[in-house]
Amino acid sequence: MRSFGVTPHARSSIRVWRWVTVSGHNVALYLSLGVILVYCAIALFAPVIAPFDPFAMSGSPLAPPDATHLLGTNDLAQDIFSRLIWGTRATLILGFLGAAVSVVMDTIIGIVAGYYGGRVDEAVMRFVDVMMTIPAFPLLLVVTIFFRPGIYVTAVIMGLFGGLNGVRIIRSQVLTLAVSDFVVGTKALGAGDGYIMGRHILPNILPLVGVKFVTSAQHFMLVGIGLGFLGIGDQNLVDWGQMIERASQNGGIILGLWWWLIPPGLAVTVISLALAWFAYAWEERINPRFQVMRV
Amino acid sequence: MTTDEPLLRVRGLKVGFPTSDGLVKASDAIDLTIRTGETLALLGETGSGKTVLGMAILRLLQPNTRIEGEILYRGRDLLSLPEREMQKVRGREIAVVLQNSGTSFNPVLRVGDQIAEAITLHRGLKGPDAEAAAVDLLDRVRIADPARMAREYPHRFSGGMRERALIALALACNPSFLIADEPTRGLDAVTRREILSLFSEINRDRSVLFITHDIEAAATLAARVAVMYAGEIVEIGPVDAVLSSPVHPYTRGLLGSLPERGMRPIPGSAPSLIAPPAGCRFSPRCTFAVGRCEKEHPGLVEVGPGHYARCMLYD
Repeated sequence: MRSFGVTPHARSSIRVWRWVTVSGHNVALYLSLGVILVYCAIALFAPVIAPFDPFAMSGSPLAPPDATHLLGTNDLAQDIFSRLIWGTRATLILGFLGAAVSVVMDTIIGIVAGYYGGRVDEAVMRFVDVMMTIPAFPLLLVVTIFFRPGIYVTAVIMGLFGGLNGVRIIRSQVLTLAVSDFVVGTKALGAGDGYIMGRHILPNILPLVGVKFVTSAQHFMLVGIGLGFLGIGDQNLVDWGQMIERASQNGGIILGLWWWLIPPGLAVTVISLALAWFAYAWEERINPRFQVMRV
Repeated sequence: MTTDEPLLRVRGLKVGFPTSDGLVKASDAIDLTIRTGETLALLGETGSGKTVLGMAILRLLQPNTRIEGEILYRGRDLLSLPEREMQKVRGREIAVVLQNSGTSFNPVLRVGDQIAEAITLHRGLKGPDAEAAAVDLLDRVRIADPARMAREYPHRFSGGMRERALIALALACNPSFLIADEPTRGLDAVTRREILSLFSEINRDRSVLFITHDIEAAATLAARVAVMYAGEIVEIGPVDAVLSSPVHPYTRGLLGSLPERGMRPIPGSAPSLIAPPAGCRFSPRCTFAVGRCEKEHPGLVEVGPGHYARCMLYD
């Protein structure tokens, strides 16, 4: 069946996610969601799943994988499988907590700016513009090197410094909602601004906020791994960045000890891809512009 | 039940929208009185300022709108009320049935919940009590199977049902004054008649400002009719007098343009509201215009008992 009203240009500019649909269901969406849930479960049940204490010497150093040490050991004779499992926790906390801080901030600022419009909007958006020119990563580096915060504080700082880029999308959406008939109607019922923003505007932008949360989670997770790799992560925890750093600094690559380097690298790649796919697939689902293309 | 006591009194209301081309004078020196229990129909073509007048009464226009004059409701000037007091008036004292019933419900909330929230806001009922009251209201506006429909989202409602649900929403707190903004627009003949009969029930207990360009609807429902043209009231009076023996050339033209009365459209188009004609605003299109019509701006002149027209011919 031809889809009417779609120009060839519009058609070609649409993402090619259609190939992953099977009988109307978007495989990318469910597959990526599955991966994310599995990671969350691993993070949650890390103490149960991991056979060894991730910091303890549990065998001989640099042993290749065998039945006891599924992924072998590192130079300190720590079990790499257990470290990988525990590392899931740290990595997901960094990603999701950072994203939560940033998305809550973006949502509040975006709703207020878009709803009130006019001068409030102007002032808020100029402030956001200024904040966005601040290079977040170098600033984060300095702060973490200087204060050596724990993982939760690091995540919050990451969210605060790096997280205003969602404001614009949310605000633009709220701008249209704020002048919609149902908002005028709710005002006509005697509702106040706060009530309208919380009860009527927020539910309408939640899908968008969700997508933003997932993309931010991916971003902050990678930033967190970067911090770990630079050796300024939380030293009381295992994270994948630190694992990769240790492997590369202590001869994992030179000696060709694949079990040391590849598992954390692969773990990062898979979750990062899953988050990105999930965000794309979800966005495609909620964005009517992509929906038309299915006809 | 109609008494002579005015419920709403609009005096010298001027509403202007600042634009880059100048100030759009959407309503100019409007004087209007609505008595307790009375239904007043506000007739006029699109862009004549009917909706603006309704929205101005509830103070729902954009914040940068310039408003002058007085809107006295039960003796209180709504224009000088603090926002918080105004919120108590909206919905509880004065409610509105907005035009565009299709977009007047929040698409992501259930219809019953949206009606219940109006009840919670003013009547203090919560949870199941508010929901039960919402179902009662849906029943009152004759929506079939109200308990089930209350749990549905707006997109599941047909146009006529949405209009009813919107009326239920407006009636949620039993307001004493209802502004209905073109409630019959875009409805088929049968649904339109049903909505009108619903209104003839609703307007028994309250005052209604019935904004419409449906002359037949005005004739059925209203006791008095006001005709607006280019932001002004050009004729106002008892419904029989205005509709059967109109005096203002615009009203005559409007009625003459009806299919059953010959379908003769008024030549020309409505003037710009940024720089309206200096004299009578209708003079450029008026077949009776004389020289002074273009220079002097006519005032409202009494032409019959309670029947006024803004025209030089009766001066």
